[in-house]
Amino acid sequence: MPNKKNLKWYVAVLLFVAATAFLLNVSYKAYIDTGARSSKYRISMIMKSTDSEFFKSVFSGGNAAATEYNVELDTMGPEDEEDYETQNEMIREAVDGGSDGIVFSAVDFNANGEAVDYAASKGVPVVIIDSDVNSDKVSRRISTDNYEAGRMAARAVIEASEGFDEFHIGIVNFDRNTENGRQREQGFREAISTDERVQSIESTYVLSTVDDACRGTKELLATSPETNVIVTFNEWTSLGVGKAIYDLGNKDSVSVIAFDSNEVCVNFLETGEVDALIVQNPYAMGYLGVESAYRLAEGEELSEDTVYTETTIVTRENMFEPEYQRILFKYE
Amino acid sequence: MKVSRIVKEIKDRLNTASGVMTLLVVSIITVALISGAAVFIHIYHASMVRNVMISGEQATGQITDIVGNYMSDIDNSMERIKYAFRCDEEERNEILNALVEMRPDAVAVTEYDMENGELLNAWTGTEILKPEIYKNLSFDMDLLPSNAYYYTISKPHVESIFVNSYPWVVSITGIVSTSEGLRAVVLDSKFSQIAAYVDNIGIGSHGYCFIMDSEGDIVYHPQQQLIFAGLKKENTEVLKDAPDGSMEEGGIIYSIKTKEDSGWRTVAVSFVDETITDNLMRCLSLLLVLIFIVIAATMISSIVLTKHITRPIGELMTAMGEFEKDASGFSYKPVRGSYEINSLSDSFGHLVIRIQELMEKVKNEETVLRKTELRALQAQINPHFLYNTLDSIAWMCEDGRNKEAVEMVNALARLFRISISKGHELIPVEKEVEHAKSYLKIQNFRYKNQFSYSFNVEEKCLKYYCNKITLQPIIENAIYHGINRMIDEGEIKVDIYSEGEDVIFSVSDNGVGMTKEQCEDILKKDGPGRTGGIGIKNVNDRVKIYFGDKYGINIESEPDVGTKVTIRMPKIEEEYADAK
Repeated sequence: MPNKKNLKWYVAVLLFVAATAFLLNVSYKAYIDTGARSSKYRISMIMKSTDSEFFKSVFSGGNAAATEYNVELDTMGPEDEEDYETQNEMIREAVDGGSDGIVFSAVDFNANGEAVDYAASKGVPVVIIDSDVNSDKVSRRISTDNYEAGRMAARAVIEASEGFDEFHIGIVNFDRNTENGRQREQGFREAISTDERVQSIESTYVLSTVDDACRGTKELLATSPETNVIVTFNEWTSLGVGKAIYDLGNKDSVSVIAFDSNEVCVNFLETGEVDALIVQNPYAMGYLGVESAYRLAEGEELSEDTVYTETTIVTRENMFEPEYQRILFKYE
Repeated sequence: MKVSRIVKEIKDRLNTASGVMTLLVVSIITVALISGAAVFIHIYHASMVRNVMISGEQATGQITDIVGNYMSDIDNSMERIKYAFRCDEEERNEILNALVEMRPDAVAVTEYDMENGELLNAWTGTEILKPEIYKNLSFDMDLLPSNAYYYTISKPHVESIFVNSYPWVVSITGIVSTSEGLRAVVLDSKFSQIAAYVDNIGIGSHGYCFIMDSEGDIVYHPQQQLIFAGLKKENTEVLKDAPDGSMEEGGIIYSIKTKEDSGWRTVAVSFVDETITDNLMRCLSLLLVLIFIVIAATMISSIVLTKHITRPIGELMTAMGEFEKDASGFSYKPVRGSYEINSLSDSFGHLVIRIQELMEKVKNEETVLRKTELRALQAQINPHFLYNTLDSIAWMCEDGRNKEAVEMVNALARLFRISISKGHELIPVEKEVEHAKSYLKIQNFRYKNQFSYSFNVEEKCLKYYCNKITLQPIIENAIYHGINRMIDEGEIKVDIYSEGEDVIFSVSDNGVGMTKEQCEDILKKDGPGRTGGIGIKNVNDRVKIYFGDKYGINIESEPDVGTKVTIRMPKIEEEYADAK
């Protein structure tokens, strides 16, 4: 008896079947979707340079993280390590080009601030590694504890110069406006000034290139010939100082404390031009930087604002011990 | 307030058949699905783990083969080196330089004095040997093999004898004999051949292989630099002691295979959580959707059940309850539901009608039976009374009191005529009064004027009808119970008067009276009165059967004062009496 009431029931049953089919379809789609993870982000890594060993390590760490998290990684940096304007341009291009995150190492503490603010204002998270920038919009900072690295340099000086009765210290530092160099010098000065053997501390500022650092070192040694300790704070200036000492042939009379693990610099350590290296962990910085940017892009809240990577003092004596080999020599 | 009402509603619902059924079905299906899922997950997990282990073992098998190739390459190289040392110096240099340059993994060949470990010669290909070597990591006296047939393989280290170049290598140390005596030779070898394979082997989306030596030190790892940077660790402490085969440790599946001759162990690492847990989570979410659908389906079917079965059953139940309480007054409204319910309801409807018909029938039959019975009783002639009366008449005739005898006979005849009344139950009050008077006359003769009697009848009551022989049994009772036992003269008063819509018959005496119990007894006691014939109860019953419960006899009595019996009857007109 096909009456009105029965019709209502047919409609209800039909609706239920339709709803069931819809639910199954949706859940099946969800099933397929979770199966193929296609969440891909684009992250831009803008460093101070692309050809230093330090930043090569940073990039290779970044690439490792990019592979692990299936992230498309653009690596870039200015040709000249003083060129903050190009860096700012790169940040703007990355933001406008639809980057999901920026990993950045600032050339200039103040001059790069605005570009970082711009990125943050467009909702692109910025992770700073190695060298800080004047902006409160930074999502996370990953770097060497620069003050501590400076203090380590001071410890290395005291260790390397045991035989000296008095210290005449020359600091060959790079761009005054770069935050990490400034912090390292400050940390160093604070720590070394407690030693009574310190007679003088003189700073000279050079461009972050081998040649300028070499020239600056020679000039320093010429104007202050009593200098018996030279401290320098990045890879290029370390190479310049090493080269100057090599050229001058006074590796026995001058203790050199340098930074980073460029192979040439390691060679200087072996041959004695350099007495200790403060080795950072650029690979970890790059890896953690990209990893943090990825997690920020995923919308995750990161618990720590600042992450310090490890720093190690490597001397001629310990450089070939297995654990120091691993720190000093990249695996290629 | 509202919530508690809802809770109560739910409780009530759950208490119904469909509620219980919903609960049952939902819980059974949920339990079945969950336990099914648990079994499925267990089996699935086990098979996934097995699959992962199999692919891990396949990977380690491949890598072990690669390591085997690498080792046989090294064998070849060492043979070649040995051969070179048997040649003259020119040829030796040619062979060894070619070896270092051509073999992709060979980095350097160095020759050492067996006694003091002094570096005698080095073939380094394109790399430049340091003029002054600070520390040579390639040669270690402790690693010298015991004889010329064996090699030793060092742990990975950086090559420390080149200018500005520090590749990671292993050093293979062997002993060769030269024209100047035994010498140690070291072949430094990179892993590029192994790396090319190991880096490209993937197990799942994140799985990988690495190679460690028998002491758990990593020889080659695709993420070597991550390990160097301290960002990654392998659980080599556990793995170095683990036997070959597969094991699960902390959500990670390791497959291990040892290359016998070198002692290097290939480890395949795959992650349980990514390959297995992800799939399981997807299955579980699908399962949840299924459970949801099942619950929805059950709820809908429960609504259908409620509408078609439970609610009609409830209505049927109520209807039956009502029917039980008041069968005759019940009117049944059919309940609609499923086919079964409909037919049940229809049957019940028929049943109700049938039962009501039967009840009506029984009631009617009972009444008819009673009436017939009563009629039969009335028809009975009380032999004792007749005998006594006839005896009195005979005595009168003998005495010559003929006039009195005639009166007696007349009275007796009247008594019987009215008693019979052509079989009518209802007779005019006038006749009933006449009947009572005849009876009293006879009794007065018989009791020799022991009592006097009077009638006080409202004229207008005479035309109404009443049950016949109603006064006589009461008067009889008054005489036997009241007057008979008196010493003084008794008095019987009969009053008939109208009261509203009713007629009241009242018989009072001044006899010994009765206790309350006796009064009640009289109304209960069935059977004939003292002289046979009709008892008071009979009168009461008849009145009630004919006119209903509100009519009938009422007795007021006080010992030593007298008894007053009243009968209430409706005013019955002639036409109505005929119909009855």
